[in-house]
Amino acid sequence: MAGPVTEWVGTAARLSLAVVWGWAGLAKIADPAEAAQAVRAYEILPEALVKPVGHGLPFLELALALLLVVGLGTRLVAALSAGLLLAFIAGIASAWARGISIDCGCFGGGGAVDSSQTEYLQEILRDTGFLLLAGWLLRWPRTKFSVDGWLAR
Amino acid sequence: MSEKNREGKRTARERMLADRAADEARGRKKKKLIIGGVALAVIAAAVVTGVVVQDQRSKPETPTAAPAGTIGDKNLVIPVGSDNSPAVLTVYEDPRCPACGTFEREFSSTISQLEDAGKIYTNYHIVSFIDRAVPGKGSRYGANALACAQDAGHFRDYHDVLYRNQPDETSDAFGDKATLISLGKQVNGLDTPAFEACVNNSTYSGWVSAVQQDFDKSSYKSTPTVLLNGQPIYPKYNNEEITPANLVKWVDAANQGKTLGTPGTHGQSPAPTSTASESNNPSPKAG
Repeated sequence: MAGPVTEWVGTAARLSLAVVWGWAGLAKIADPAEAAQAVRAYEILPEALVKPVGHGLPFLELALALLLVVGLGTRLVAALSAGLLLAFIAGIASAWARGISIDCGCFGGGGAVDSSQTEYLQEILRDTGFLLLAGWLLRWPRTKFSVDGWLAR
Repeated sequence: MSEKNREGKRTARERMLADRAADEARGRKKKKLIIGGVALAVIAAAVVTGVVVQDQRSKPETPTAAPAGTIGDKNLVIPVGSDNSPAVLTVYEDPRCPACGTFEREFSSTISQLEDAGKIYTNYHIVSFIDRAVPGKGSRYGANALACAQDAGHFRDYHDVLYRNQPDETSDAFGDKATLISLGKQVNGLDTPAFEACVNNSTYSGWVSAVQQDFDKSSYKSTPTVLLNGQPIYPKYNNEEITPANLVKWVDAANQGKTLGTPGTHGQSPAPTSTASESNNPSPKAG
């Protein structure tokens, strides 16, 4: 079973992932057209889905951040985070494989860039790091200072 | 107590403990379901709110206010030259894009001459996406100022002044409205309270956003994108580099046997007499 050390590590993972989602979400809110274009640039989704995804995704990220900060439904949120990160990694890998030149738009920005300015490997490695945080919480969701822990008492 | 009785008591207690454990397990499961349900409800509420709010905020795809004289089904295009000219040049430019500045300083006098000779008219799409890549407001404010100049009938001249005074891409000098207004003083007739107010109020910000969203949906990904009668000619056409001389040659070839449009200066300054390139004069200062 999870000891206190595991719970402390989990707390750090939970709050780090919260910062990641919070930062990613906030950076995409100011300009909805830019967020939509970041999605469109992947050339994966049909035009009808570009706006709903571009407009809704930052709020999904912010909701995940909020739930992680308070520690509510940590295992479920970790599972959703892992799923989202896997989707992002798949999207970036797909763009890389198809030879299109885009910025991932992970933390705002996005859209077409010069082929010399793509950073697919760094972006995938970064998201993999975030995936490890989510994986830890999926395995050991009990953390300090969480609503989950408080409710379980 | 008899053996039998004691045994019966034990089983009763065991049964009670087992029931309580089962109750607790059910309770924990119920609690988990409620927590999960609350978490999912928070997420769903956030996403729905986000989609509604952001859709509303990105509405100006069809702008309510467009500068006078703009064309196209949503009035997103600024035309320069006689519309009865036989060839059309289409130019997508961002005020902050360095390659656009280089292009303009090399080609603007040639393009003006082709326009004034009635050989071409030019459709400008003033996009503003550099602000996304290099944080700042210069693309959007610059595009709005260009729309203000179009509204006042001085687009071509102000456009040339802006590109002659274009700052480095990393400097956001055009993000300062005072700079844009002060550059307007270099254009005869543009130094008016109306232009100043238009720049300061970002009167055409919705239009600027609509032009950019139109570009987002196009197949073009970089600026400058330059088309002659719909064919891309920048940076090369038919394996030839674009140069002022080649541009004139390509236009003349495309216009062979066609009637030229009405020559003139279209309410703007006449084209310069030489096709020499202009020098850049960066870091504009206000005042």
